[in-house]
Amino acid sequence: MSDAPPLPEFAASLDGAPILDRVRVVEVGDLGEVAGRLLADVGADVIRVEPPSGTDSRHIGPYPGDEPGVETSLRFAAHNANKRGVTLDLEHAEGRALWRRLCESADVVIDGSGHGVLDALGVGWEARLAGGWAGPRVWCSITPFGREGPWADWASSDLVQLALGGPMMSTGYTDHDLPPIRGGFDHSYWMGGEYAVVGILGALFGLDAGAAEGPELVDMAIHDAVSATTEGSFPSWEYRREINQRATGRHSAPGPTPEIQFPTVDGRHMNVIGGGQPRSARYLDDMLEWMDRYDAAEDLREPRYRAAIFAARNEAHEERARFSEVTKRFVAMLTTEEAYRGGQSLHLPWGIVRRPEENLDDPHWTDRDSFAPLELPDGRQARLPVAPYRFEGVERGLPCRAPLLGEHNHAVYHEELGVPAEELPRLAERGAI
Amino acid sequence: MAKSDANSDRAYDERPRPLAGVRVVDFTWIVAGPQATRIIADLGADVIRVENEGHMDSLRGGLPPDGPPHPDRSGIFNNFNRNKRGITANIHHPRTRELIEQLISGADAVTENFSPGAFARMGFGFERLRELNPRIIYLSLSGYGHYGRDSSYVTWGPTAQAVSGLTYISGLPDQDPAGWGYSYLDHSAGYYGAIAMLLALRRRERIEGAQRIDISQVETGMVMTGVTMLDCQINGRPSERIGNRSRHPALAPHGAYRCAGDDRWITIAVETEEHWRELCEELGAPELAEDERFASLEARLEAEDELDAAITECTREREPRALMFALQARGVPAGLAQNMPDKMQDEQLAARGFYRAAPSPYVGDRFYEGLPFLFRQLGWDVHRGAPGLGEHIDEVLTELGCTPEEIAQLRAEAAV
Repeated sequence: MSDAPPLPEFAASLDGAPILDRVRVVEVGDLGEVAGRLLADVGADVIRVEPPSGTDSRHIGPYPGDEPGVETSLRFAAHNANKRGVTLDLEHAEGRALWRRLCESADVVIDGSGHGVLDALGVGWEARLAGGWAGPRVWCSITPFGREGPWADWASSDLVQLALGGPMMSTGYTDHDLPPIRGGFDHSYWMGGEYAVVGILGALFGLDAGAAEGPELVDMAIHDAVSATTEGSFPSWEYRREINQRATGRHSAPGPTPEIQFPTVDGRHMNVIGGGQPRSARYLDDMLEWMDRYDAAEDLREPRYRAAIFAARNEAHEERARFSEVTKRFVAMLTTEEAYRGGQSLHLPWGIVRRPEENLDDPHWTDRDSFAPLELPDGRQARLPVAPYRFEGVERGLPCRAPLLGEHNHAVYHEELGVPAEELPRLAERGAI
Repeated sequence: MAKSDANSDRAYDERPRPLAGVRVVDFTWIVAGPQATRIIADLGADVIRVENEGHMDSLRGGLPPDGPPHPDRSGIFNNFNRNKRGITANIHHPRTRELIEQLISGADAVTENFSPGAFARMGFGFERLRELNPRIIYLSLSGYGHYGRDSSYVTWGPTAQAVSGLTYISGLPDQDPAGWGYSYLDHSAGYYGAIAMLLALRRRERIEGAQRIDISQVETGMVMTGVTMLDCQINGRPSERIGNRSRHPALAPHGAYRCAGDDRWITIAVETEEHWRELCEELGAPELAEDERFASLEARLEAEDELDAAITECTREREPRALMFALQARGVPAGLAQNMPDKMQDEQLAARGFYRAAPSPYVGDRFYEGLPFLFRQLGWDVHRGAPGLGEHIDEVLTELGCTPEEIAQLRAEAAV
C-alpha cells in the first residue's frame, strides 16, 4: 500500500552508541524538565533529583481516571521519560552532601528549582563557582527571568511568560474585544527548555574545544526565550515602528490581511496559506483546474490574479482578498480530508487543522516512527512523540517510562556513588533521601 | 558575574565563542533554516549563506525601514541573517559548482530547508556531500521530513502548526481556533536544527564518517503535545482549546483581563488562596474575597465566567503596567501582555542586554534579539547585520584561492 521509501538509514546503529554518549546530567526542580527530556531522548544519562515527597510536577495532572497519585501524573510521564530518578532532601545536611556528590559525578547540572533556591541552601552555582567541587563542568540555571535583574524575584507562570514575552499580543482573534490568547499548552517551558539545551551543548562544545576553562554557567531566562520567539513582530517594530495586530488563525500584521482559516463541509477547518493565492504561478493552473471540477473558480482566471502573485507584499490587496473569498467558498464544498490531500497533491501548502492525537493514526508518522511506545507506571501502554530529529544510522531506542519516586536510589547512591547499601535505609529514616 | 559582564558590551564581546572555527555552508532560506543557522552564527560559527539570485529568498522581499523594497534592506531578512556572510552562486555554471564543492570540502556542515529531494536534484545528495567531505554534517529541515509517504507535502509555519495540532488547541472554546499569530514552528524547527547541529558537532569528535540529520517541522510541533496526547489515549478525552484558563493544574482566576487604554491586557494566574486575597485587596474589591461564589478554588472553578467578569470590572480602569508592578509586589503572578514598544522598555530584558545593537551598511545601526542565555566565560554576540545579496563573493572566493581576474570573469559569466 505504501510507496514510501524504506528507512534503511535508521535501522541500525553506526557505532552502537547513542548520539549524546557518556554525558551525565543531574536535574532538579521543574523548570528544566523539558531540557532534561530533550537530552535524555538522545542518550544522556539524566538523573532527576526530587524531594522525598516528589517534585511538584508529579502533583500536576492530568492523571489516569482523574485520580491524583504521586506515580501517575501523565504530565510527569511525558516530561520525564528516559530519565532515572533519585530522592534527596536539600533541607537536610546529609541530603545536601549527597547532592554535592551527585553534582560532582555529572557533566551538567540543570537547576530548575527556582531563582536563588539552591544558592540560599549553599549548594547552588555560587558554591560550585567558589571552588572545591569536582564538578560539574556546566551548570545550567533555568529561571523565569534570569539570575539577576529587577524582575529576577518575580512570580511567574506559563501564562505570565507568554504575555510578557510577546506571543500573546500576536495571537488571538481579529475581534480585539476578545483577549490575546496563550497557545496551548506550556510553550514557555518548551521554548526555555529548547534554548537551554542549545546553551548547554554550546558550553560543552566550547569547553571541549578549550575556548574556556570552566566551570561554565548557562544563565537561562525563560522570559528571554519567549521574547526571542515572536517572528515578525520584532522586525515590524524595529524597522517600521509598526505594531503587529492579532488576527484570527493567521499571522499578526500591522494592517488587515486576508483570512486563511476556512471551514470545511464537515465542520472543521483548513489552514490555507496566503488565503489560497499560490506562491508561484506554476501552481495556479493546477489549482484552478481542481476548482473547476466543482465549478468554483469564479473569476480567478482573470489575468489580474496571476499578476498578483508577482506583486510586492504591500500591493494587490484587492486581488489577495478576492482569492481568499473564492477559496473559502471552494473549501466549504470539500471535506477536510479532501481539501488537505487534494491541496497537497498539487503541492499547495494546505494544512488540516487537527487535534494533536489525530497524528497518532496518520500513516506518514508510522512510516517515520514518530511515536514510541511508552509503558505507564500502572502497566498501561501509550505512545509518546519523541525528540524530533533523526540521525542517519542511529536507532531510536524505546523510551523508558519516567522514574518512580526514588526508583534509582540504590543504583545511583550505592552502585555508582559508593554509599554503603546498609546506609540507605538509615538515610531514608533520617529523612535525607 | 553574568549581569555585569552583559552590561559591559566590550567585555562580553571579547569573550571566546564556543563555535569559533566551525564553518557552515548554508543553503537555507525564509525562516526555519535561517533561524537554526542564526543561533549557530551567534555562537561564533562562520556561516556562509549560498543564495540563488534567480530564486531569491522571499524574506529579502520584506519591507525596508524606508523607501521601496530592496533585497539588501529587508528588515525581517536582516533580523534572521545577522552575523552571517553571504554569496550568490549559479550552481549550473561548472566553475561555480567546483568552487561550491570546494567550500563544502573544507566546511564542517551543510544546511538546507528545501522540499525533500530538491537539494539532491541540485547535485548535492548526501552521497555526493560525503564524497566531497567524509566528515560532513548534513542537516535538512523540511515540513514532513525526508522519509515517509507524505514527505513531498509542503508546509509553511502555519501549515505545520495546523497539522501538528497546535492550532486546534489554541483559542477560545466557543470560537474558531486562534492558532498562533506567527510561524511559531519556524522558530521551533530552527531550535531543533541548532540542537541537532550541536549534537552532531560534539558526536563528530567521537565517530568517523559523515552525519545526516533529518528534521520534520511538523514533528517539532508534535513533540510539544505529549501531555495532551497521553490524556487522550489514557482517558479518552479529546484535546480541546480552553482559552487562557488552566486545567492542569486547575486554577482560577487565570486569564487575560482588559485594562485601561487601547487593547491593553494584564494576565493574572492565581495559584494559592493567598494570591486570591492579595489580588482582591489590590483590585480594591475585598468583597470578592468574601463572596460565597468565590470562597474556594472549587467554587471559583464552578463560576469562572462570573469570576472573570467581576475581575474585569476592577481591571478595566487600571493602568496595566502599574497594576502588574503592584500585583508582583504582593507576590501574585501577573504580567502585562506586552507589545513590541513595551518589550523595548522592558527593564529585565535591558538588564540582561537582550537587545544588542549592531551596524549594517544597508539599514544602519539596529537592534537585534539576542540569545536567551548568558555564559560566565564564553560569549555570543551580534556583530553585524545580514549580508547584502552577494556581499561576500570577493572575500569568500579569494579565500578559496580565486584571483581578482577570475572573480571578475565569473561575474561576467553570471556565474556568481
